[in-house]
Amino acid sequence: MVISKHILGSFDEALSALRNDLLMMAGLAERSLDRAIKGLLERDDDLCANAIADDEEIDQLEKQIDQDGMEVLLRFHPVASDLRRVISAIRLSPNVERVGDQATNIAKRARKLNRHPPLPEVQMLVPMQAHAMSMFKDSINAYVRENVELANSVCGRDKQLDEMNRDANKKLTTRMVENTEQLRGYFNLLMISRALERVGDHAQNIAEDAVYAAAAEDIRHKGVAVSA
Amino acid sequence: MENLLMPTSERIAEGGVEQLAEVPPNGGTAPASTFQVKNMSIWYGEKRAIQDVTMDIATNAVTAIIGPSGCGKSTFLRALNRMHELTPRTRMEGTVLLNGEDLYSSTVDPTVVRRRVGMVFQKSNPFPTMTIGENVVIGLRLNGVHDQKFLNERLEKSLRMAALWDEVKDDLNKPGTSLSGGQQQRLCIARTLAVEPDVVLMDEPCSALDPIATAKIEELISELKTKYTIVTVTHNMQQAGRISDFTAFFYLGRLVEFGVTTSIFTNPKERQTEDYITGRFG
Repeated sequence: MVISKHILGSFDEALSALRNDLLMMAGLAERSLDRAIKGLLERDDDLCANAIADDEEIDQLEKQIDQDGMEVLLRFHPVASDLRRVISAIRLSPNVERVGDQATNIAKRARKLNRHPPLPEVQMLVPMQAHAMSMFKDSINAYVRENVELANSVCGRDKQLDEMNRDANKKLTTRMVENTEQLRGYFNLLMISRALERVGDHAQNIAEDAVYAAAAEDIRHKGVAVSA
Repeated sequence: MENLLMPTSERIAEGGVEQLAEVPPNGGTAPASTFQVKNMSIWYGEKRAIQDVTMDIATNAVTAIIGPSGCGKSTFLRALNRMHELTPRTRMEGTVLLNGEDLYSSTVDPTVVRRRVGMVFQKSNPFPTMTIGENVVIGLRLNGVHDQKFLNERLEKSLRMAALWDEVKDDLNKPGTSLSGGQQQRLCIARTLAVEPDVVLMDEPCSALDPIATAKIEELISELKTKYTIVTVTHNMQQAGRISDFTAFFYLGRLVEFGVTTSIFTNPKERQTEDYITGRFG
């Protein structure tokens, strides 16, 4: 749908600033996650350090988006699709921020792993990382493009990631018993697997907010009704 | 069914006035409608101001009419108590039923309709030569009620309902025009309530008031809807969102969209509604 401009130009500017901050935040979180995983797979401490450093800017943007959103609510009293966009942006940014936190967690674990000989089991996280990253990217795309179909598809993919995490947990726990020398290393991989699974959860939350923004439909907690 | 042709004094004598607000709407089915408007069209001379509007107005609820200037919202409101007929060369087609009774039947007296369906205007208009007390009961007096005890009781009751009693009870003999703008508007609401209408129509009742006076009127509207059906025209979108249960959007004389207020303001179905309420019109 082509969205025409508001009569009040400053309203468009404020909404645009909110959207741009959110896009920048999502871009940074994506980059941070990418760097953290590369830092793990390529055993590159610099990439891990960069991933950790990104988190501060992501946190700042979360606060900025809250402030932008409050300002739009206060100054322009948005309704209908404008209101949904603002509410979604305010709800969505903490999830993006937590994706940044997960990237930091992964980077910190990767640095610990990099101090020891490589573990071949790290490869079992590659498909998980690809799955979690694609969910996160698609959730942001769904929000930006107001694509309900894409958002719904993200929600449907979370179970697969949960299954991958369970599978990784099982294998890594077995390894921990079999090879107690590498207990610490396997534990770090386990935690990274869990962080990737959490990225999927945040992507699902973002996708749910994308559906609300685009279609005014609350798909969270299906089966739980809200009294009128 | 209340007889529209029966003067207020006779209804009082029969004890009918006290029962007016208790008229069972639509035989008790939910959601009950006070008004059923069908295919309403209104012309001022050659100009068609309202085009084929059909809608039911819910009982004991606030219905807000919104839309840009000239969209026909005030004409529609006035047609609900036949006040638009005061404008020369006016013609109306369609039907308006008030609790099932045809307001436009040839046997119905428009002045009686206006008593059953009261109106509060944009600018407060207390009678300048009358005291506060006289302003409130003038409608009853003009309808032949002279029982002073009854008038005093109704005076206090109406002023209490209009949330004005505590502020003016010691000044009832002062001119109505001595009150502040917000108080004058509540005085006009008390005057409307004094004849115990079924419906209160409000045409931008807060547009000339400051935020405090506006809040008092809005609070009053929320309280009054438990006893009356209220239809209000407003240009203030936030006000419509705050006070109304249902919202109707008019554009170029047509009813574009009508629904539950929260739905209209979060997820309107029509593009024109979305463009208007989000400020993208024009």
